[in-house]
Amino acid sequence: MEHTVKAYGEELKNLTADVVRLGGLAEAQVADSIVSFARRDLNLAQSVIERDDKLDSLEAEIERKAIRLIALRQPVAQDLRHTVAAMKFAMQLERCGDLAKNICKRSLILAEAEPLSPLTRSIERMGNLVTGRLKDVLDAYTSHNLDRAVAVWARDDEVDEHYNSLFRELLTYMMADPRTINSCAHLLFIAKNLERIGDHATNLAEIVYFEITGEELMSERPKGDALQRIL
Amino acid sequence: MPLLQSPSPMAPEPSRGASPRAWILVLALVLGLAVLALTVAGRLASEPAGAALLSLGAISAVVWLSGAPARRLAASVTVEAAPVVGLPAAALMEVAEGLPDPVMVISGYDPGDFAGRQVLFANLAARELFRIPAEAMLLTAVRNPEVLEVVDEALFAGIEGQTFYEAGGVQDRYWNVLAKPLAAGPEGHKRALLVLRDQTDARRNERMRADFLANASHELRTPLASLAGFIDTLRGHAKDDPKARDRFLEIMAAQAWRMARLIEDLMSLSRIELNEHIRPSDTVDLSVAVSDVVDALGPQAQGAGVAFDVHCAGPAAVTGDRDQIVQVAQNLIDNGVKYAGRGGRVRIQLICGLTAAEAVALHNPNGARLSLLTPDHADQLYAAIRVTDSGPGIKRDHLPRLTERFYRVEGQKSGERLGTGLGLAIVKHIMNRHHGGLAVESEEGAGATFVVYFPLTLAVANAAAS
Repeated sequence: MEHTVKAYGEELKNLTADVVRLGGLAEAQVADSIVSFARRDLNLAQSVIERDDKLDSLEAEIERKAIRLIALRQPVAQDLRHTVAAMKFAMQLERCGDLAKNICKRSLILAEAEPLSPLTRSIERMGNLVTGRLKDVLDAYTSHNLDRAVAVWARDDEVDEHYNSLFRELLTYMMADPRTINSCAHLLFIAKNLERIGDHATNLAEIVYFEITGEELMSERPKGDALQRIL
Repeated sequence: MPLLQSPSPMAPEPSRGASPRAWILVLALVLGLAVLALTVAGRLASEPAGAALLSLGAISAVVWLSGAPARRLAASVTVEAAPVVGLPAAALMEVAEGLPDPVMVISGYDPGDFAGRQVLFANLAARELFRIPAEAMLLTAVRNPEVLEVVDEALFAGIEGQTFYEAGGVQDRYWNVLAKPLAAGPEGHKRALLVLRDQTDARRNERMRADFLANASHELRTPLASLAGFIDTLRGHAKDDPKARDRFLEIMAAQAWRMARLIEDLMSLSRIELNEHIRPSDTVDLSVAVSDVVDALGPQAQGAGVAFDVHCAGPAAVTGDRDQIVQVAQNLIDNGVKYAGRGGRVRIQLICGLTAAEAVALHNPNGARLSLLTPDHADQLYAAIRVTDSGPGIKRDHLPRLTERFYRVEGQKSGERLGTGLGLAIVKHIMNRHHGGLAVESEEGAGATFVVYFPLTLAVANAAAS
């Protein structure tokens, strides 16, 4: 598409670049939070917590740029979708960063207690699964690949299954040895945070779909009913 | 205008990593290079600084990439091919393009303009790793903040820097990243060279050793303790009781066998994991491999009172390692026999020409299905092996953890022959090496199905599609 004003095209490109940068930061935050938790790396946890400000300010900047672009250039059709998607994308990514920060705060507390190795491994596995989904959806965004976005969206149940399995495992642990309740409660929240990052990845996939096609991804998604059975 | 234009319309697309396509790529590459050499030589000849820049970059990359034994050779190349005398620019392009490690030249103008960071040149390895065309915005290739930082330092501060980069995905690779400043281009465009070196082997070796020791010591402790206990008993009060002695010796032999199997499985798992990022290159017919395994396990199944029900529509050629594919089929069918129990059945199906979604599609509407391994880029056709047993099935809660090492489903008996708890972990790692997938489907009380699917070789996939 030819833009009459060259600067307009540049502005759009810049917006995408910022979103991708934010994506890279969020991806690293989530991955590092899992490593800091699994290896009990306090320094890494601390630096993830400190880096969160960067994500917040970049998100604010993306929002400012997008609003400015809408106000001054009045984009339509694809460009408008692109701009709105950038704003929504940034919001979801910033939330992922917050959740990663929360995981690190809990890791700092957990590092003071006895390690619970099998549970730590289960959480690490779930964490790797979630990081993979975040990576896939960001790849779909940068390469405008509809199939990959849909694939991420359709595979949400894997994370849910992991979460439900972990939930049950944690309950068993707490019942067997009440001294572990304090640590297990934190692990439960870490698992929940990861599950929510997985949900954000699904939302991101929906945004990519909307940006490319202009339509909403609304059909029935395969959804486990396992949680209902637990609750 | 960037100095290095996109090589030519004939330059190869980034590969999807399918090795049967490799020769097509090589062919396209040779054609592409010929055109590229002409184009670039013409463009660069008019600008000596550009040729010098590229040759310096390529040579420093070669020197950095080559190990100690090759260093002297590389050094002599540096002297002979000094940029003033110069290899022809086209030959240097060919060198850069053919380097096994990813190499990129990046340009930037304004530190605040992130969209302005461009990849001017990416060799074949870099295009494959990052899945980009020869020319792209840097951020579409890399978004890792640490890599972006060393690139920025090289571009705008002129500082050489190194960092690590983890590519992520199921085929996880580790790279050492080197960013080096280059001479500035026209209009003050800053340039930097980015070279990646594969460190996956070193990282894997390190981690594997730790894992192996931890697993082996933990899992061998129990059978070893029981052996020691029986030895004490045999020395003590069971000394003169031939009946008890025979029984104890039998248990001890079983424990010893279990330890031997455990060590064998652990070692084979370690070997598979070490090679997991190296894709096999042989062509294997799945139908032959499966029927070989079925024949081999026949007597054992008969002894256990389990009937086979085989539906193998062959041939199904896939790219793979025959021994490992046999191991996959063997582990799955062996599990099926164990869980089906006396009077049970094991159904083995081979289905060709499926998409990834079709391969894992749920067959039993009441069952639960979970994908235990999904290939990174599932946009091709697959051949699937489905192994269904008529056993007690697996509860949904256990499904996500089936491929975990030493995970055993509580309260489940796997017959008299106790497994090592590594069978499915081995299957998963082999499937990952083959860029395939693994899924499980089960309904409690109504058996379990394991599905593995391998990407078909290109020729077979084309035939199946048409």
